[in-house]
Amino acid sequence: MDALESAAALGAALLVAGSAAPLARVPAATALAMQAVGIGLLGGVGAAVLFGAAPVGAGFRDGLEPAFGIDGLTGFFLVTIALVALPSLAYARDYLRDARNERWLLALGGLFLVSLGGVVVARDPSVFLASWELMTMAPAAAILVRRTDAEARHVVFVYLAITHLGGAGVWISLLTLAHYGALADPGALTGQGAAVQTLVIVAALVGFGTKAGLVPLHTWLPRAHPVAPSHLSALMSGVMVAVAIYGLVRVLFEWAAPVPLWVGPALLALGLLSALSGVLLALVQRDLKRLLAFSTIENVGIVALALGASLVFLHQGDRTWAALAFAAALLHTLNHALFKSLLFLTAGSFERAAGALDLDRLGGLLRRMPWTGGAFLLGAAAIAGVPPLNGFVSEWLALQALVHLGFGPSLGTGLAGAVAAAGLAATSGLALYCFVKAAGLALLGEPRTPEVASAVEPGATMRLAPFLLGGACVVLAAVSGLLLPTLAELAPGSPALAAHAGLEVPGTGSLPAPWLLVGIVVLTAFAWRLRGGRRADPMPAWACGQRVEPSLRWTSAGFTKPIVLVLQGVLRPVRAVEAVREGGLVDSIAYRGEVPHLFDVHLYRPLRSRALAAAGTVRRIQSGSVRAYAAYLLTLVLALLVLVRVGAIG
Amino acid sequence: MTFVAALIQVLGGLALGPLLVGMVQSSKARLQGRRGPSPLQPYRDLRRLWGKSGADPQPTTIVYRLAPCLVAACTALALLLLPIAGRAPDWSLGNDALVLVGLLALGRFALAAAGWDTGSGFSLMSSGRDLTFAVFAEALMALALLLAALPAASTDLVAMAAAAGGSSPWAEPAHWCAAAAFALVVLVETGRQPIDNPDTHLELTMIHEGPLLEYAGRDLALIQWSAAARHWLVLVLAAELFAPHWGGFWEQLGWLALTLPALCAALALTETAQAKMRILRVPGLLAGGCALALIGLASALVGGLV
Repeated sequence: MDALESAAALGAALLVAGSAAPLARVPAATALAMQAVGIGLLGGVGAAVLFGAAPVGAGFRDGLEPAFGIDGLTGFFLVTIALVALPSLAYARDYLRDARNERWLLALGGLFLVSLGGVVVARDPSVFLASWELMTMAPAAAILVRRTDAEARHVVFVYLAITHLGGAGVWISLLTLAHYGALADPGALTGQGAAVQTLVIVAALVGFGTKAGLVPLHTWLPRAHPVAPSHLSALMSGVMVAVAIYGLVRVLFEWAAPVPLWVGPALLALGLLSALSGVLLALVQRDLKRLLAFSTIENVGIVALALGASLVFLHQGDRTWAALAFAAALLHTLNHALFKSLLFLTAGSFERAAGALDLDRLGGLLRRMPWTGGAFLLGAAAIAGVPPLNGFVSEWLALQALVHLGFGPSLGTGLAGAVAAAGLAATSGLALYCFVKAAGLALLGEPRTPEVASAVEPGATMRLAPFLLGGACVVLAAVSGLLLPTLAELAPGSPALAAHAGLEVPGTGSLPAPWLLVGIVVLTAFAWRLRGGRRADPMPAWACGQRVEPSLRWTSAGFTKPIVLVLQGVLRPVRAVEAVREGGLVDSIAYRGEVPHLFDVHLYRPLRSRALAAAGTVRRIQSGSVRAYAAYLLTLVLALLVLVRVGAIG
Repeated sequence: MTFVAALIQVLGGLALGPLLVGMVQSSKARLQGRRGPSPLQPYRDLRRLWGKSGADPQPTTIVYRLAPCLVAACTALALLLLPIAGRAPDWSLGNDALVLVGLLALGRFALAAAGWDTGSGFSLMSSGRDLTFAVFAEALMALALLLAALPAASTDLVAMAAAAGGSSPWAEPAHWCAAAAFALVVLVETGRQPIDNPDTHLELTMIHEGPLLEYAGRDLALIQWSAAARHWLVLVLAAELFAPHWGGFWEQLGWLALTLPALCAALALTETAQAKMRILRVPGLLAGGCALALIGLASALVGGLV
């Protein structure tokens, strides 16, 4: 057993012990520290393997005896998990202090981390599937430990129902792969014919796609992510989604490879649909956490776009761009994990301080909570995809991949690439719109309620955690060029790329992110100096000479009105104005406007009512009468006898 | 020669933007039968603003104070990515077309956030519209740049400019489609009619002017300069990628000097001939541009350009 292997084993043991510790009445700080050291060790081993150390532990097996191991891809996802988990655990220290059922929440949080790590280090189907199921159950249990109201119970029911129905896809795909021995020997599936391969791929797309939140399998995600405690929301949106992408990558690029041609374009289509509808629905949300959850769908869409492009490039034999698109997908997964968990953690602090997360009832939090607010602003800029932060870097690489797909040579994939590139560009425009809105409403302007006006900064670790993540966003943008060759090498059959400080990619004008960062900071400081400090006396903003009344302040709906009007054919906004008249005079006016979640209205609601109706029909045969049941038995026996007689069975 | 290119890149970008704006304004006035201001008027405006003190609407934070500097910084940085007459010095910032688009987006982010900081209804109304247009404009820009990058198979602006030289690109329908699509990009990014009316004084119709209402003095001067520099940026880009040019560096420089006034005159002509569109119609126009670009791409792929 070498040093890395023992470090990984020690990390895993500490993580498991740290999860069990709260139930044995170990103090919370100790338990969290144990979990943090455990996941930190695992992440460290993952980083070592990612950056060139030999793989640790077993290779993939098709049998059912448990096996664990860490290779490059697993290492990358362990690093992702650790980078999000460490700040989240720090955050949990102050966030959960004196919470109801604190011990259970700590234990379930640890269990969630164990299951997330378990999926990526699993080297056989049994550990993979067990961890996968545990990963679904742990946050559900945490939601129910914290909240027992009807809404939370309903959300958990929807979450479990949809992820379990979708999760069947994971089981089908994994067990079929194991049956044909394709986990240990990735070439094994190609000899089994197109039908088996198609089954595995479709099942994987449904199974992992449900967990990742690919549209139209996403409907549970914007319900479940917001109701979880914030440190778990951060892990769910940041890391659980990443783990689902891990599964998808393993199946499409390793176990079922080489996949048929249709998979790439299908993934492009799913990604484009997810990216655009995710960000459009995020844009029209008023609840901050719900907005963040919809934006997770958007980012998963971007990752799917890059993966789809990579598959198409593989088919065209362009190994360099296949590897670069693959690297773009991984890089965006990591970036999204960082800034999304940052935003969820700060949202948790806002909720604690202001009592609510309705964007129209926040405002002015940057002055009240400069640390948390500053971190939120940084995260919003990163997720909006503006240079020189990390969100821009990975979106740029993904966009470049799609643009190069658009260069042809075939008409079909060329046009698909161009449409996807335009869609991705529009997505980043919409994301900017969405996060300017979120940051503006929450942080800037005047406080809109008395609770917000008296908000104060949360405890020290809750302030620290978002800052660590924000720092990681900046650092990751600066070192992405160094990281790129390592990530590209994880793609199957990738050529070696040289490491540069910036992203020096063939066929582009290169993106030297560190120099852009320095350039923007230096030039902004220069302009600041040049402008000097001469200013007139403070005065209110211009509103045609009127005072700005609190009730006249700009709202979320007002700011997004232009795009909702432009896209009203797609979004179908609902608007109702009701005037209550009394004695010929208008007494009061009630206004209601919202953009419905059309996938719920047109897809899931009819499905649900049909399913219930079908269940009602089937229930009729359960009359409760013994004679009826005897008749069913008799019919069955007679039918079987007839079938045997005519030779259909037996 | 690279040194001359660097000189024009920096000095031209810093100093000639306001001249382009002035040229559009004065030729527009001539076309409308007015005497109009001299082409140097934007410089006088900037000097006047530079001498005034800044405004401080209450309550604002550092976001409001930082936005003009950030807008100026990212515009200045974008100027350094732009090749002049097919040449660009190595600032180690790269010359990528899509990075340039990203830098323009950063300016939009800063101004819209500043609008939220003041809470002024006019700036928020305008930035909502601006961001709505930007959604479609970014898609259009991605497609137009994709088409322009097609002959060089690279989004490096230097390679793109080199591939656009001579007369051979004009034999391709794709190039014409890309040029038409990019013309729309120029209109959006410069905020000209029929997309936006830069001369409006009516707050309710403003798009690009709205977020400026709360600024005064040097803050306003920085933003006005950035808007002028954006004219330089997109017009030089249009000249490098979509205007005919031949020969070596000096000939191309001559072509650039001829093309820029011509493009300004074309903008003035559009402004005179076209009324401002209804705001909700603009995305349709931009989507039409996207469709045109896709048709161009289809023709290029069928014709085997690559």
